[in-house]
Amino acid sequence: MASLSSATSTPAASSTPIWSRFARSPFWLRIALIAAILLLLEYYGRFHADPAFMRPPSAVVEAFFTSVISEPKIVSALWLCITEISIAYGMSVVFGVAIGLIVGATKFSRAALFPIILLLFAIPQVSFMPLVILIFGLGPAAKIAFGFSHGIFPIIVNVVAGMRDVKELHLRGARSMGASKADIIRHVILPNMVPSLFTGLRLGMTLTLLGVILAELYVSTGGVGYYTRVFAENYNPAPLFALITSLAVIAIFFNEIVRIAENTLTPGKRRAPRIQSKSVQK
Amino acid sequence: MQNNQDKIAISIRNVTQRFGDASQPDSVLALDNVSLDIKKGEFVCLLGPSGCGKSTLLNVVGGLFKPTSGTATVEGRLVDGKPHPDKIAFVFQESTLFPWYTVIENFHIALKFQGIPKAEWDDRAMAALRAVGMASFARHYPDQLSVGMRQRVNMARGICVKTDILLMDEPFAALDEQTRMVLGEDLSQLLAETGKTIVFVTHSLSEAVFLSDRIAVFTARPGKIKTIIDVDTPHPRSPDFMLEPKFSELRNECYALLRDEIRATMALQRDPQAV
Repeated sequence: MASLSSATSTPAASSTPIWSRFARSPFWLRIALIAAILLLLEYYGRFHADPAFMRPPSAVVEAFFTSVISEPKIVSALWLCITEISIAYGMSVVFGVAIGLIVGATKFSRAALFPIILLLFAIPQVSFMPLVILIFGLGPAAKIAFGFSHGIFPIIVNVVAGMRDVKELHLRGARSMGASKADIIRHVILPNMVPSLFTGLRLGMTLTLLGVILAELYVSTGGVGYYTRVFAENYNPAPLFALITSLAVIAIFFNEIVRIAENTLTPGKRRAPRIQSKSVQK
Repeated sequence: MQNNQDKIAISIRNVTQRFGDASQPDSVLALDNVSLDIKKGEFVCLLGPSGCGKSTLLNVVGGLFKPTSGTATVEGRLVDGKPHPDKIAFVFQESTLFPWYTVIENFHIALKFQGIPKAEWDDRAMAALRAVGMASFARHYPDQLSVGMRQRVNMARGICVKTDILLMDEPFAALDEQTRMVLGEDLSQLLAETGKTIVFVTHSLSEAVFLSDRIAVFTARPGKIKTIIDVDTPHPRSPDFMLEPKFSELRNECYALLRDEIRATMALQRDPQAV
């Protein structure tokens, strides 16, 4: 029994060379590419770069342990950043969805209100940064407000778009089956909106991150932005890169949460491979 | 006379449907004074060139459009631009299955919309799925099925609600010929078993002859009923029916009637002023 199973499994595995199996797997190819870039940076950073501006990745990793997470002030600044993003994003989702539902509810409300939303969305908000600081001060409130004002618009826009693109066919089908207005909203319009809603939630997350981190870099007197400035002004690139990498990891973490939520909560999409009619026709 | 009235399932009286304002040059007269009585348990095909208003008539009967003038009565009840889901089920050309629900959930939701008690949902849905050979796909999402399977499920949903009347708007138009024929046989079988009244819009001549008790042939726009052809063969019909001389005679008759109308439509498209 054991010899049989080994006979069936090993030849296939051993006959293809390792490098070709790597080249055929998108995952490993991606990892290999990242490793190659890191190696190049390592080489350049070690032997050619000016240490005042660039350090090799190994030194960045070292700095992450020796001067980033070992500094309680920096760690608490990172936590504060995570808290600010969470609050700003939570507010963006709640208000964005609510406003989106109101604006998208009827043709009339959409015609009346949607242009205002699009207009506000189109404004480059960085130009309002001084005003935001003036109103909310230098503390976390300004960063939350800035993250919120960035995150809310893509959510509103995509909720409205999702409510608008309901297929006439589905509405007609539902009405012919005797669906009431409430039935149509609950079972047609809202589920139809879900994929678009998640597009909005993903964009909203990206922009909330942008807003909070922009405000961090611009104003803060003790947050992550403050430390990046300190490291940069002292020509100390290793901890600077380590700190920026930490921010990137935080961003990836938040984006992953939204992506996983999307994959588990969007019904009827790519759950299983498509079945061909040939295999079941009697 | 009274006795006769009982047997009429659908009565269409002088229905005219105009889209847009009559005073505007771009308004379209889709149906012009159409009258038709359909008996209980009858299978009637509406056959005509594309754009002749046959789907419009179906939507009027189903209560999705309110006619500009004239009336449609279903089992003695006036349809006044409102759907009567307890009496009428619709099957559309494209599957109206909701992609966010599984097949069985789609059936449940249809039964829920119709106000049928929850305890009956599963039995009814599974019986209808079994009738079209799709019971093993109850937990699949519509996107996971092929076009033919989806339309079969869609048809089963029209059946499971157990209305007396089934309105079908070119339900097989998007399917390949073989699937069409198999589903056509299924439908003929179903008609014999359930005694449903079916109104079926198509522009396939063979489909019309194979399925119908009567074929209402439409003129080009504005749609009027040109002739009604009787197909005097009992349901269920086997594929052998298509080999009988009667089948090709009727098919040719329909074609001869339609050919003039199609030419008229084409002439109208080429030069709207000429007619």
